Formats: sequence, C-alpha cells, structure tokens
Amino acid sequence: MISKIISLGWKNVWRNPTRSGVVIIAVLLGTWAGIFTAGFFNGMVQDSLDNQIELSVGHIQIEHPKFQDLYNPKYAISNSDKLIQSLGNKPYIENILAKSVATGLAQSPKNSFGVTINGINPQADSSLAVTQYIKEGNLPDRSSRNAILIGNKLAERLDLDLTSRMVLSFQDIDGEITGAAFKVAGIFNTFSDTYNENTVFVLQDDLNRLLGNSDLIHNIRIDTDELAMAENYAENLRAEYPNLKIKTWREIAPDLRYMFDMMDLMLYIVMIIIIIGLVFSIINTMLMAVLERTRELGMLRAIGMNKARTFSMVMWETGFLTLVGAPVGLLLAWLSISYFGNTGINLSAFAEGFGAYGISTIIYPELTWQYYLNIMLMIAGAAFISALYPAWKTLSLNPVEAIRKFN
Amino acid sequence: MAVITTKSVTKVYNSDKVPVHALRGVDLNIEKGEFTAIVGPSGSGKTTLLNIIGGLDTPTEGKTIVQGTDLSTLSDSELINFRLHHIGFVFQAYNLIPVLTAVENVSFVMQMQGRPNKECHNKSISLLKEVGLEDKINKRPSELSGGQQQRVAVARALASKPDFVLADEPTANLDSVSSGELLDMMAELNQKEEMTFIFSTHDQRVIDRAHRVVTLVDGKIDNDEVRAQTV
Repeated sequence: MISKIISLGWKNVWRNPTRSGVVIIAVLLGTWAGIFTAGFFNGMVQDSLDNQIELSVGHIQIEHPKFQDLYNPKYAISNSDKLIQSLGNKPYIENILAKSVATGLAQSPKNSFGVTINGINPQADSSLAVTQYIKEGNLPDRSSRNAILIGNKLAERLDLDLTSRMVLSFQDIDGEITGAAFKVAGIFNTFSDTYNENTVFVLQDDLNRLLGNSDLIHNIRIDTDELAMAENYAENLRAEYPNLKIKTWREIAPDLRYMFDMMDLMLYIVMIIIIIGLVFSIINTMLMAVLERTRELGMLRAIGMNKARTFSMVMWETGFLTLVGAPVGLLLAWLSISYFGNTGINLSAFAEGFGAYGISTIIYPELTWQYYLNIMLMIAGAAFISALYPAWKTLSLNPVEAIRKFN
Repeated sequence: MAVITTKSVTKVYNSDKVPVHALRGVDLNIEKGEFTAIVGPSGSGKTTLLNIIGGLDTPTEGKTIVQGTDLSTLSDSELINFRLHHIGFVFQAYNLIPVLTAVENVSFVMQMQGRPNKECHNKSISLLKEVGLEDKINKRPSELSGGQQQRVAVARALASKPDFVLADEPTANLDSVSSGELLDMMAELNQKEEMTFIFSTHDQRVIDRAHRVVTLVDGKIDNDEVRAQTV
C-alpha cells in the first residue's frame, strides 16, 4: 500500500501543475542561487586566504620559543641546517623558506618608519612569493652589497625610488644598536598596504653580518601539500621538535582564521535564510493544496483511509514538491561552480577594492562535496518540516464535516 | 439477522449553544438484500442517520449495531477499519480521486484492504464492466460524465465487498437519463448479488424504485413502508 500512497502523493503534486511548478522552480532557483553564491564567496575568501598565506604566513612556521616575544635576534633556531635538511626529507613538505629576521627603523633624509627586516637567500628560496609582486627592479642579489627590496608604501613614506639609499637601524644579538646604509634594488606592490609599508627584504648574509652571527635563522616557513592538514603536520613536528615553537597559519594569523571560519558560517547562514523562505512558500502551497481538497480527504477517511495514510500521503506530496527541484538545483549549482571554477568570473571592474583584501580580479568559485551533502540534508530537513503542518491538518479532519462542507 | 439495527438513536448538535435535535430515538432494522430509501424533507435527519449507520458520526444516545458489532464500542481507528471492510459509500458529489483513472479509483479501496495488486486490478475491471464502463477504465474523472462518475463511485463502493452500500442522494447531481441508468444498475446489483442498498434521497425516481421507504420527519420515523419483496 505504501507504494500506492507514494504514487498518489506524486500524482497529487501534478494536480495543479502551475502552482507546483512555481514552487519547484523556486526550490530549484533557491538551491542553485544559495549554493552558487556560497561557492562564489568561498572561492573569493579562499583566494584571499591563499594569497595571504602564500605571501606572508605559510602553512607552518618554526621559531625559537622566545623569539616571538620581542623579536630579539639572539633567539635564533639552533642547528638550523640540520633541521632544514630533516624537514626537506618529509614527504608532505613542499617548500621551506628559512630567514633571519630583525625589527628596526628604516630612515631616509625625509622620514623614518618601523619595519620588519627579512634576511633572505634568493638562491635557496626561489619560490619567494614577494617576487611576483616586484614592480620595479629586482630581488637583492650578491652582485651588490647591502641591497634592499622595499614596498611601494614605504618608498612613498620615505620618498625613495630605485637606487635611492636608506639606513636600517636595529639591535644585534648582543643588544647593541647596529645599522647600515642600503641601496633600493627593487620595489614591490602587494595587495596589502600594511605589508608594503612595514616589510623589507635584504640578503641574509648582509643582515646576519650586521646582527653579529653569519648562521642566524630565526624563522622557518613551511608549505605543506595540503593546507587543511597543517594542524596534523604541525602536531607531528611538535612531537619531533619539542624545544621549538611550531605554529600553524591559524595561530600566526588569527584574522585569517576568523575570516575563514566566519565565511564557513556565512555560507550556511545564507543557505538557511533561503531555505526558511522556501519552507514558508512550501507550507503555504501545501496548505492551499490540503484545504482545497478537504472534501476529497474527508471522502478518503470515510471510505477507510486511516490517519497514518492520509498523513503520509501529504508528507510524500510535500517531499516530492521540494525534492524534485532541489536535486536539479544542486546539479545546476555543481555545473555552474565547476564551469566558473575553471574559467573564473572576471571582476576587474572592482579590482582596486578587492586588491586591498588580497582578492584576485578573477574569482574561481569552489565548494567542497561536504557542503553539497550538508545542503542536501538541510533541504531534506526543510522538506520534512514543511510537510508536518499541512499533514497535521489532515489529522484533524472530520470526514462528516469535510464531506458536508462541500456537498 | 438484521444487517443494521439502530436502537433509540438520538443525535443532538449544539449549534450556537442552541441544541438541534437531528434524530430523536430512531429504531430501525435493515435486513440483507434490502433496497431501502430514507426520505423526508430537508433537515429531517436523513444524512445524519446515514452517517451514523456508516460509522462516520456517533449518536448522542442509542446504539448502532452493524453485522452484530456495536459501533459505539469501536475506537476511531477500528471504526475506520470497519468502514473499509464492511461499508460501501456513494456520495452525492461522486468524490472520486481526480488524479486516478476509473480503474485506479476502484482499485484503491482494495489496495487499502491489502489485497494483491493483480487481484485488485482484475476485480476493478470486472466491477467497471458490471457498471457498464468497460470502455472507460483508463479515463480520469474529468473525462467522464456525471453519471459515469457516479457509476465508478458505485463500483468503488462495491470493491471492498461491503455488507451494504450507503448512498447519500446519489442522483442529486444527475440528469434523468443518467439517474435512471444508475438506478437500473443498482437494482440489478441488488437482485443479482443480493447487495443491500440504503439511500437517502429526495428524488421521486429513487423513491419509486425502492422496495422499502422509510420516511423521517423532524428526526423521527414517520412512516416505514415495505412495497415489494426483496430478494
């Protein structure tokens, strides 16, 4: 009999094709729009996250436990060569960037500003992300001593251009103030104004010489094969190197973590709002469908259809009304996201505004399969909730009154 | 033994705090194979009596005994099940399921009884043949005339192999030709299959064909006339 009830529920959906069609299309479009919007914003945030992680954070960073407090250069990673070699043998590590770091004052005849000085080794670190943002000049190289790469904002603030000279002053490992004149070898312009203003790059040899020890490494940045696994990988490294401070991107950049978590929440909030709208639309339609069939439902009860069967018939009917449109909407959303995930959506008209947040001008929507699964479960739950009230209304039908009402 | 017995059945509706006495102590026995019309002016209690006999409504006082079962002792779900297996209904407005074909409408009752699909289908076709609709089995109600729809309703009422069929003004929406054909068909079923029919009606054509006419006035039996021997 259940198959007959299901079949009747399905046929009832098409009793008023226009009305059912409107609801089905609303569910379809709602599902598609909700998921595609989620995919779009997810792609946008993911892009921003990827860019920021690539530029300055990395997946995991390793430092001396005390270095983070005051950026005191004497707290360098000991035996860094061995450590780097050991890390290089781990299959999940794709890239390692080791640098010495100092914080100090950048000065020009016109102005001064506090900066973080990164001592890099361009030959070893060919994948240095800032390279792609260099607008003028080049990375510092060994051909000239004390060359420096600065951001455009710092160049503006200190009134510097390519080949200008500036002075860096900072504390050495003995706590003495040291410094030297540097010649601007290149100017970069990333999406982050803050980064462009307070970050400079010099050769590791030059920085370490001034710091007082040629082997200093203060920070090792690691990029793994999968960002989502960073916490697990970091846990392994913490077990292996208990004397070092090992942090993931979530600890290093809580703002990014917050953005990432909020985005996840926002995606669901958007979908929940759409689903609430759909639930009311479905309840409205199903209530109309039930109320205009009072006589028929009364007749069914009169001839022996029990309450459970009338209840389940309306439940199935509502289920069909919702679940016809939802899978098509899901499929369309998946196709749209897959298509635009490859071709991208060009938003160059808004490029300047997006750039400030590290978002590219071309957005590649993306969404994980878990999200599709969760949406399907949410829609199924919504269909169930929508069905309850109209189905419950049939339980209170008195067959005599229902038949008399329209006779 | 009587198929239906009502003992001092009283029904009072409390409409707007003013009690309305629809039935006032109705005693009635209906034997198997009767072709009975319950007649009376509007408001005399015909439909109320039919609803109580059919287990759709409960009396305020008195008892209704159908095939030895006191309906007042049955729970709501037992009553629904009782109706499914023992009573056939024909309504004034046909009340077929519009999304099902004639054969599906007839089968539906049997499927609710849990009979096998094949048996339901074959029996439905045979019933539709019996009511003269063998060429309309796959038509939906909207494709049938009023008379044809009421024939399907009769076939549906018979499909559950009921002890009797209750028909509430079955010809009220039909023209004279369709009414005549429907009555012929029901009379034939009454003769051939010894099926008990109980009508509530205003229609003189139905009254003329009935073997027993029970007249209700103000909720009481005013006259109970047996006109011809039933089968």
